[in-house]
Amino acid sequence: MSTQTPDSDDPQAERMARKEERADERESSTPDVGDDPITLKVFRYDPEVAEKQEPRFDTFHVPREPGVTVLDCLMFARDHYDSSLTFRHSCRQAVCGSDALFINGRQRLGCQTQVADLDNSDTVRVEPLPHRDVVKDLVVDMDHFYDQMDAVEPYFSPTEEPEGEQLQSRENREKIKMSTRCIWCGACMSSCNVAAGDNQYLGPAAINKAYRFYFDEREDEERQEERMKIIEQEHGVWRCQTQFSCTTVCPKDIPLTEHIQELKREAVKQNLKFW
Amino acid sequence: MSQSYDRGLVEDFGRWREFSAGMWAWVLHKFTGWVLIGYLFTHIAVLSSALSGAATYTNTLQGLEQIAVVRVLEVGLLAVAVFHIMNGLRLLFVDLGVGLESQDRSFYASLILTGIIVVASVPVFLEGMF
Amino acid sequence: MAEQYSSFASGSTRWFLQRVTAAFLVVTLAFHFFLLHFYNHAPEITFQLSASHYDVPAYAVTMVLFLGAATFHGVNGVYNALVNQGVTGTPKRVAKWVLAVAGVLLFVQGIRVTLALMGGA
Repeated sequence: MSTQTPDSDDPQAERMARKEERADERESSTPDVGDDPITLKVFRYDPEVAEKQEPRFDTFHVPREPGVTVLDCLMFARDHYDSSLTFRHSCRQAVCGSDALFINGRQRLGCQTQVADLDNSDTVRVEPLPHRDVVKDLVVDMDHFYDQMDAVEPYFSPTEEPEGEQLQSRENREKIKMSTRCIWCGACMSSCNVAAGDNQYLGPAAINKAYRFYFDEREDEERQEERMKIIEQEHGVWRCQTQFSCTTVCPKDIPLTEHIQELKREAVKQNLKFW
Repeated sequence: MSQSYDRGLVEDFGRWREFSAGMWAWVLHKFTGWVLIGYLFTHIAVLSSALSGAATYTNTLQGLEQIAVVRVLEVGLLAVAVFHIMNGLRLLFVDLGVGLESQDRSFYASLILTGIIVVASVPVFLEGMF
Repeated sequence: MAEQYSSFASGSTRWFLQRVTAAFLVVTLAFHFFLLHFYNHAPEITFQLSASHYDVPAYAVTMVLFLGAATFHGVNGVYNALVNQGVTGTPKRVAKWVLAVAGVLLFVQGIRVTLALMGGA
């Protein structure tokens, strides 16, 4: 980026120039991390850089401040130490689902995890989500996750459009409320050992999505049957072994295992009807 | 895109210290399951000595029961079967949608119950060994 | 009509039967252990002792059901473990048939043993 002379009349140019000066200052100076810094160990991998073709862990020291999150730490490390540190993040408030990471041995959202809340708040070990291929540093390939989500037709689609308004009762909304909270972060699927072994398993997120629509009273019975056919395939609900890891790691507190179990019971009930 | 890095399956079991209760339950239920089906085939094979007459059956079984290792293995079999039953009951409750909030505590309870039952049964199982 | 029957291939039947046999096995396996290790004692097994149990018709019936339930539960369990592990395609089909045949053989052999013990009562 070129540095424009700040004595022109262009305020935008002035701001950009000052911004670049500050960035240069940050990168060239040693930051003050206080006397009780957090030790951040981050997984590094970059197939295009010779030293990082074999994964390694880099250590950074970041300042400990009240309320500091793991995402804050990563951003500090990137801004002050190594601008090649690569990770996904966006909203910083646990709604976009971008920064699901493996932090101190568990799937968590970086922005939602305060360092002070970790069992070990002195050393924070950050790795990319398990059971996903690593593209670079903390960025994983999420294509498989999206494929499984798409497989359950995750959109509202009654067979016929209603005439006039389409109302949902309060009770029905309450029933599916928790299942609507999914932010597609991928933590659950990453924690499931069955999803890791069986590549065709739909996974907790996809089945939860199916639950959200299956039990939505505004879709008709015909649609319900179609949805059930998808999830009662061999690699659908039946692969769940009630390991509960998904429920434990979901950053939106969705009772995933419970929803999958309800669908299993529903599938059995539907099939017994033919007797 | 450049090639991605596959961390492999070994990495999973290397993290055993981070396993949750639910994961232990799954792993142990699988392991005890394999042991039990292996035993079932062996058991029927041993009992098949009955097809060769009463004396063969009696001698085969009593002969086995006199071997110390066999008696100890029977205690192991008891532990495996009791755990599979206890955790299996826990899973049946989960499948019925009952008690999902305390599923991790019910796993620890099934481990403890298994321990108690096995320890209480050791005297009977090892009777006459010494 | 075909649709109705194909729905059973979905997996809900095997899942359901696995739970039904599980509940049954909890009771019968516990009973089996109690009878053979606590009521009777393993080192004292004789053909006559084992055969005498079959004097009670209900025992014979229970044992056959026990054998069937255990065989199904075990073989189905192994099949599930393999599918969960990611076995697909040809190896999966091979596993399915090998397990099915092994299960049938196990059941048949168990019945033969039962008959031998019943014959000696």
